[in-house]
Amino acid sequence: MELFIQVLVSGLLLGGVYALLSVGLTLIFGVVRIINFAHGELMMMAMYLTYWLCQAHQIDPYLSVIIVAPALFLVGMGVQRFIIQPIFDSSALMKIFVTVGLFIALQNLALMLFKADFRTIQTSYAMSTLEVGGISISVPRLIAFCFALVLLGGLFMLLKLTLVGKAMRAVAENRVVAELMGIRVQRLYLITFGLGSAMTGIAGALLLPFTYVFPTVGAIYTLLAFVVVVLGGLGNMAGAFLGGLFIGLIESISGVYISPALKEAVYFVIFILTLLVRPQGLFGVGKGTEEVGLK
Amino acid sequence: MMRRMGLLVLVFGVLLMGGLTEVAMGQSLRIGALYPVSGSLALLGDESWRGAEIARVMRNQKGGVAGKQVEFVKVDIPDVNAAKSEAERLINREGLKLLTGTYSSSLCLAASEVAARSGIIYFEQGGIADMITGRGYKTLLRSCPRAQYFSRAQIRFARDFVAPKIGKKPNDVRVALVHEDSAYGSSISKNVEAEAKAGGVQLVSVIPYNKDAVDLSSVILKLKNDKPDVVIGVSYANDAILFGRQAKELRLDIKAFIGTGGGHSLTSFQQALGAAAEGVLNVDFTQFEVNVRFTPGLKEFVEMYRKMFNEPPRSGHSLANFTGTNILLDLLERTGGSMDAGKFRQTAAAFELKPGSTASGWGVKFDDSGQNILADTFIMQWRGGKLVTVYPEGPAVMAPLLETPFSK
Amino acid sequence: MKQRHLLMALAAGLLVLPIFYSAPYFLHLVIMIFFYIALTEAWNILALCGKVSLGHAAFFGLAAYTSAILCIKKGVTPWIGLFPALLVTFIGAAALAIPLLRLRGPMFTLASIAFAEVLRRVAMVWRDLTAGAEGLTIPFVPGWQNLTFTTKIPYYYIFLILAAGSVYIVHRLYYSATGHHLRAIASDEEAAQALGINTQKTQLIALFWSAGITGLLGVFYTQYVYMIEPEWAFSSALFCLQPALNGIIGGLGTVWGPVIGSVLMTPLGEYLRSYLGALQQGLNFFVYGLVLIGVVMVLPGGIVSPLLSLFKRWTPSKAPALDQGGKVR
Repeated sequence: MELFIQVLVSGLLLGGVYALLSVGLTLIFGVVRIINFAHGELMMMAMYLTYWLCQAHQIDPYLSVIIVAPALFLVGMGVQRFIIQPIFDSSALMKIFVTVGLFIALQNLALMLFKADFRTIQTSYAMSTLEVGGISISVPRLIAFCFALVLLGGLFMLLKLTLVGKAMRAVAENRVVAELMGIRVQRLYLITFGLGSAMTGIAGALLLPFTYVFPTVGAIYTLLAFVVVVLGGLGNMAGAFLGGLFIGLIESISGVYISPALKEAVYFVIFILTLLVRPQGLFGVGKGTEEVGLK
Repeated sequence: MMRRMGLLVLVFGVLLMGGLTEVAMGQSLRIGALYPVSGSLALLGDESWRGAEIARVMRNQKGGVAGKQVEFVKVDIPDVNAAKSEAERLINREGLKLLTGTYSSSLCLAASEVAARSGIIYFEQGGIADMITGRGYKTLLRSCPRAQYFSRAQIRFARDFVAPKIGKKPNDVRVALVHEDSAYGSSISKNVEAEAKAGGVQLVSVIPYNKDAVDLSSVILKLKNDKPDVVIGVSYANDAILFGRQAKELRLDIKAFIGTGGGHSLTSFQQALGAAAEGVLNVDFTQFEVNVRFTPGLKEFVEMYRKMFNEPPRSGHSLANFTGTNILLDLLERTGGSMDAGKFRQTAAAFELKPGSTASGWGVKFDDSGQNILADTFIMQWRGGKLVTVYPEGPAVMAPLLETPFSK
Repeated sequence: MKQRHLLMALAAGLLVLPIFYSAPYFLHLVIMIFFYIALTEAWNILALCGKVSLGHAAFFGLAAYTSAILCIKKGVTPWIGLFPALLVTFIGAAALAIPLLRLRGPMFTLASIAFAEVLRRVAMVWRDLTAGAEGLTIPFVPGWQNLTFTTKIPYYYIFLILAAGSVYIVHRLYYSATGHHLRAIASDEEAAQALGINTQKTQLIALFWSAGITGLLGVFYTQYVYMIEPEWAFSSALFCLQPALNGIIGGLGTVWGPVIGSVLMTPLGEYLRSYLGALQQGLNFFVYGLVLIGVVMVLPGGIVSPLLSLFKRWTPSKAPALDQGGKVR
């Protein structure tokens, strides 16, 4: 029984990490409606930046968030402005390919600049754990989990209370009408992409204490983030969080009770099933998702 | 439509001309060097390449081989398609008669198939899958140990060293195997199962996982459930670190952990885990904290490495390729620079060195399948932040110690 | 000269090429080009109806493994083995058919990626069947009955037939009613349905042709590379991204676009890797990524359209060109 509880706890902590990755993606996806295959690469860039700040300037990763977030905000805006915006009216196919090209270019740029070495940082708390009734809870993962909650809460308030947030929700719901109502959609896209990238960047900084960065790390996370986002419902923040937790639990349980080599396969199968049976996700938004192909 | 056709013919013609140019031969000995220096195997592929390159540079400084300078035609083979294409290109377009490499077993299989079917010598220095020398090709040679040697060493160590120290009979020792599921891990896994049966120890569980996993808690939890005494691990760089970290977090309590080269031999493993890496055992190609009387040339190699690459060696793969390339160049010296397959093979069969006479401490004796049966694996242990050779006695620097790993 | 004559000249040229020039590396390059022409055409069929599959490796791998396993474990020659291989591929295609019909655009793409990934992992774990990650090697017993040869020339002709065959199939499909329906679906699926097109049947036809050709390629290509392992057989980079890239550069949704794209990109990819990759880790793929971005942003119709207009200016057609006002220029 203790094992099972530990499996659940590990799964939840893992899920928190996944949720963190996905919040940024669901924001971008929900508003700008673009599938960005280079999403993981944004996180990779943030991780390299955090790594450098820590190694070269001894800035603690949790503090470096102050620098990483705005940096990634700018990068995100740049991607939207110079890469996505020019081809915004092309077919979805072209948009997919431009982001695939971006993903290949960024991944190999990192390889060229940083070489293939795995880099991680040593902090005093990197491997510390809390013991609660015989269950081990990794401290850095717990911190990442809490941060995810805070970020989510902050985003929620942004969307509900601020004007920018409301504009985002309007565009997410119906771009054409929003434009008619006077919202400058292109500018909003810039802000959204920037914000989503910043959040992804924060996720990267928070992950570095207990994981490592190497050029191909982005690819692994991109697909996972999409699975979580689809499961949780496009554009639905709470859905992304719950979706992340759900995937974390599934992964942990199937890893222990089926086989660790198949745990990813299990959630991919769930992903495909979700797309077929309930494409709007477990907590779906429903409206306005036709453009990205959910009927 | 017409114009499309015309365009097609034009393009095809241009490419035809590109393919028609042949390369002239030079005055040096040209050897093809196939290593994965981009893609997911980039780190250790590059490390392997460095070792080979150092051997070449040093040999050229001493006058080359058979009076000629040695030249590597280096190619990057990130995947199987590339391995095949590049092997084809090197053999057919560049006219090379000798290929070496490769670090990865599956890449070696692809490239060496091409070489073997053209009757070209393929000299493997890093891939350990038993199948490489198991295909009956007469032109394939392997300088490094193969998977079976690794597992044999691990099971023997579990049985002969760990068992008495924990007061159990060999038959009662519980061994679990955790391995990444690519060719590297799978080939070791097969051998561990066979060796465990032969050695009489209990293999209580075999847990494969994907090397790109970002979380291994399920693996650790499964292990905790199975309660082994000894865990044998086969990991690449990142998963080795991840496993160690999560083993500590989840308080995995085992008597010994024996890695199988790969990630557990890397300096980054120790750097990331710090004190938690203390006591971790490892079976691998020769590493650097070793009795130098057993490994002549090691010191010079490390010095040259630092000079050429501005950092210390990252793992023992470079040393393995250094030794392998030296053996290769020695063989070439004995054939007078000839790369004729038959002559080369004959020379290899007659070439013998005793253990303790190469920089890796290996001996040399090629059997009928092309395997160097005197290539050996040693057992190392992370002690005081260094990967120290502890077994067997010849190359050992200190005696092995039984410590619970991932606990500090 | 009529278009037909030019085509026949080209065909004749290709048929006799190995007799005049048989440098092995050159033949290898041409074989790779033929392979990618066929693969890109197959992928293109699905792209005709607007569905981008990045999971085509699934079909490749399923067929390749089936024929390889039958060949190695049961001694079945691939000539016969290709039938069960195709059957397995079609079963796989049927599995993907449901997402195909119900999802649009990027969602389908994601589903296809997940599909190939699941198969890859299963292939790795099911060691009893596939020898897992260590892979299987095709035994070297040369002869037509084993589809194994010592020289490149038989492979050349086999792949030439596959390439020509796939171009022909796509050509017929393109100009048939089905082809028109596919393009209609690509434009606007609902409108097509409103016009009375059976969108489901049409898309399924496209899927099965696409999967079938890909599977066939899987069988033959494995015999050429002599080995198979999960990472390679289900590789998205080699068998999904590459044909997609070729297709986009050549011109999506056209018959000859994939051919041009493959003819250009295959040798380019090889040269990039051989010369840039050796210079600096990752440089070749970096350039690749930039090329992809560049092509999409600058030439979304692929190379075919602007080059076509270039040709039109150099080779004036019979009818006089008219300007905006209808007057002869």
